[in-house]
Amino acid sequence: MSMDPHDQTRGDSTPFFSDDQPAPLSCNEAASLCLKAARGAGMSWGMAEEAGFAAAWLVSHGIDGPSYLRAHLERADGKDWDDLCPLVTPTTWRNTADQPVCPIILGVTLCDYADLPEGLRPNICIPLGFVSAPILLVPFLTELSLRNSLSITLSWPHGTMCIEGKESSFEAALHLLGTLQLDLTVSAKDAQPCRPNATSTPNAHTTAATVAALNSFAMRTTVPASAASRASAGSTLSDND
Amino acid sequence: MSVTTPNMAFEAAHFMRPASEVMRLARMGSGHPTRLSFLHILLRRLGSSEWQIDRPVWNVDANGVGHGVYRVKSAEQTYSLVAFAHDLPDEMRSDRVIATAWDATFTLFDGDPTPNDIARLADNVPYQEAGRISSKELTLARANRSVRLFRHVVEALSQGRQPDAKEMNAVGYLMRTTAVYGSGKFGASDRDDIAQRPELAAPFQVEMLTVWLIRAFTVDIVEHIAAANGGAHAVKLDRDTRRLLGVGNSTGLGMAPFIVRHPVLLNNWMMARETALARVRAQTSAIAASIAGLETALAAATLNAAAWHSEHPVQVRKLHDLRRDLDLIASQLATFDWTVSLPWNDLWEWGENTLTYEGQEALLALMLEPHGALIDDLAEHMGADEAASFRINGAMSVADLRRILETEYAWALAIDFTTPENIARFWYVSEEKLEPRLGERASEDGATLELPLCIARLAAELYRTVQNYDETKPVAALLLAHPEHRYAVRRVQIANNHPYAEVQDNLIAADMLPIDLLRCKLAYFGASQFDPRSDRWVRINLFAGAPFPDEIKAEGAV
Repeated sequence: MSMDPHDQTRGDSTPFFSDDQPAPLSCNEAASLCLKAARGAGMSWGMAEEAGFAAAWLVSHGIDGPSYLRAHLERADGKDWDDLCPLVTPTTWRNTADQPVCPIILGVTLCDYADLPEGLRPNICIPLGFVSAPILLVPFLTELSLRNSLSITLSWPHGTMCIEGKESSFEAALHLLGTLQLDLTVSAKDAQPCRPNATSTPNAHTTAATVAALNSFAMRTTVPASAASRASAGSTLSDND
Repeated sequence: MSVTTPNMAFEAAHFMRPASEVMRLARMGSGHPTRLSFLHILLRRLGSSEWQIDRPVWNVDANGVGHGVYRVKSAEQTYSLVAFAHDLPDEMRSDRVIATAWDATFTLFDGDPTPNDIARLADNVPYQEAGRISSKELTLARANRSVRLFRHVVEALSQGRQPDAKEMNAVGYLMRTTAVYGSGKFGASDRDDIAQRPELAAPFQVEMLTVWLIRAFTVDIVEHIAAANGGAHAVKLDRDTRRLLGVGNSTGLGMAPFIVRHPVLLNNWMMARETALARVRAQTSAIAASIAGLETALAAATLNAAAWHSEHPVQVRKLHDLRRDLDLIASQLATFDWTVSLPWNDLWEWGENTLTYEGQEALLALMLEPHGALIDDLAEHMGADEAASFRINGAMSVADLRRILETEYAWALAIDFTTPENIARFWYVSEEKLEPRLGERASEDGATLELPLCIARLAAELYRTVQNYDETKPVAALLLAHPEHRYAVRRVQIANNHPYAEVQDNLIAADMLPIDLLRCKLAYFGASQFDPRSDRWVRINLFAGAPFPDEIKAEGAV
């Protein structure tokens, strides 16, 4: 950390990590930083909240969600919505232009459609096409599996993995899904209702480089100071009383 | 913790005030602390449970520099405030988030800190935002002296005198905190990880505990310095004088967005308070002890109103209203007929017809005060499981979404957002300090980076889209076509079953007063003597009149 008391005063949880230091963020910090970064990279506020949710969820399950989100945002930066979203049809959810789909948009949309005919229901199989940073789908699919009592399977050309809301499966998720992109198909079958696993995993650390990269996206949401903004920010009276 | 809806007898439900009345800025900006305020919830628990409180470490030199540890301990948990006392030159003292050094800095440690923990904290806590704390810490805070009163009290005590009562009343605290961070800020423990503990289930309990222990520290440090200066002549503060001291707090716009960003939490705070009022009004008789309790509370409120100073024109007017209204309440009580069938409701309805918002909201606090047995359980319902209402119901039809907008957001749809005065302001985050600020749309840059805090306009924009959208389609399809409305759709679905979730006013209007948002939140904290220093910056006092750690056991539940 900085020992210089003059280079500080960030009104929010912007940490002061550097070099190759591990960066142990709280879940709240991870969610807050990722929300702002996602907004800075062009997501709507409501979608950026979902990005914050997904990244913090992964942190609380021992996976460096912020670094995966960073990797995705760096690829998706500047792309139009149409190049990032799935085209929802009864048979396939591939992107129209066959671009890698944003895992946040896809995860959210799978949840939004969970109880609709086009959605992921038992004995349904949906080709998703290429999905960017696919591990970011896991928080959404786990919620979906718990809520609708589903056992969800993701499959790709050389592998599959099953999500049932059990803690043990997350390590496997990291190993299999912690990659730049995968050509995925999702399917589901009925499962026994289960409750979220109560065992707590230590929070994952992220890296100083990720924090710096996410901060530079986040700073796009801020307004440069002006004389007017400084003047109206605080008290007009002295604090030495 | 329980976040279920509080039990509501049918009779009491009849007496609930509607959101259209409660959730207006003018009324929220007249809020008073009640026995459901968070610091009162904390004091009740500390007074009634098996909590041992001591100060195991006091390592402070003759200049008042060093550290101390204050410990609160039960069979299950220990919480330790680690306090660092500094020697701060006057020119570095600022209450703003832009300050870089303080008279004292603090963290609430989860457990008993080891010397290694203290050493780690000493390397970080004094630097506040530029330091890091860990999941072993629950809060991070700092405080500055009230230079005038601190100096006066040191001088008086060191010379063997008690401080001047007039000086004490004029300020009311030795130090004021300028930030108390919790909930995972700067690496601290996440709220989700501690919210299951019964003593932390109500909102802001670690923050309130931090401030209450800081209050003890402010007295210890002033007595310590006086003793160092005065030697054998020095005396301690009289217990009655000490009791009057609270901890000041200085806060600005940064706090305002909180209640807008946490609609379920805001709903639960309001719901608890409104349910309490409804239960009191629904009583079919008044017992003597409750009437006596009301009169005692009125006497205390009258004293508080007399001591309450502000130079801000808005608050000066409100204080005038409050003092007059408290006199009116006193006159009414002198001849009040308590034998009618709904005496508390009669009193309330008289107040609604007679008093200003200041007086009405003060009357609410007074009426709750003698009814602990009837309403204190509602404190259990003031937390919120926000994750439970985060997920959007994509299967809802657009027609249903539209109906919710038309019923729950009629107040918002009625605002004309084409007139300059209704879009005069915009909320944004400053690049310089990452603090929320409020800009003037016509004259300042940055409106394209507006924060989504004007829920009324977002709801109106959503409504415009929905009017032109196939209403047989599901919300999921609407959001795939219009991702820009995801934020507003989530709010609207929350508001559908959380009636007090929204501040029902235009938060970017030219005449909007941010201090109204601040006062609402601070009243829930339990803050007294709300003193605006501008229309977006305010000072308050916390814990004035409350017991100190060495008194709370003897006094039992407050």
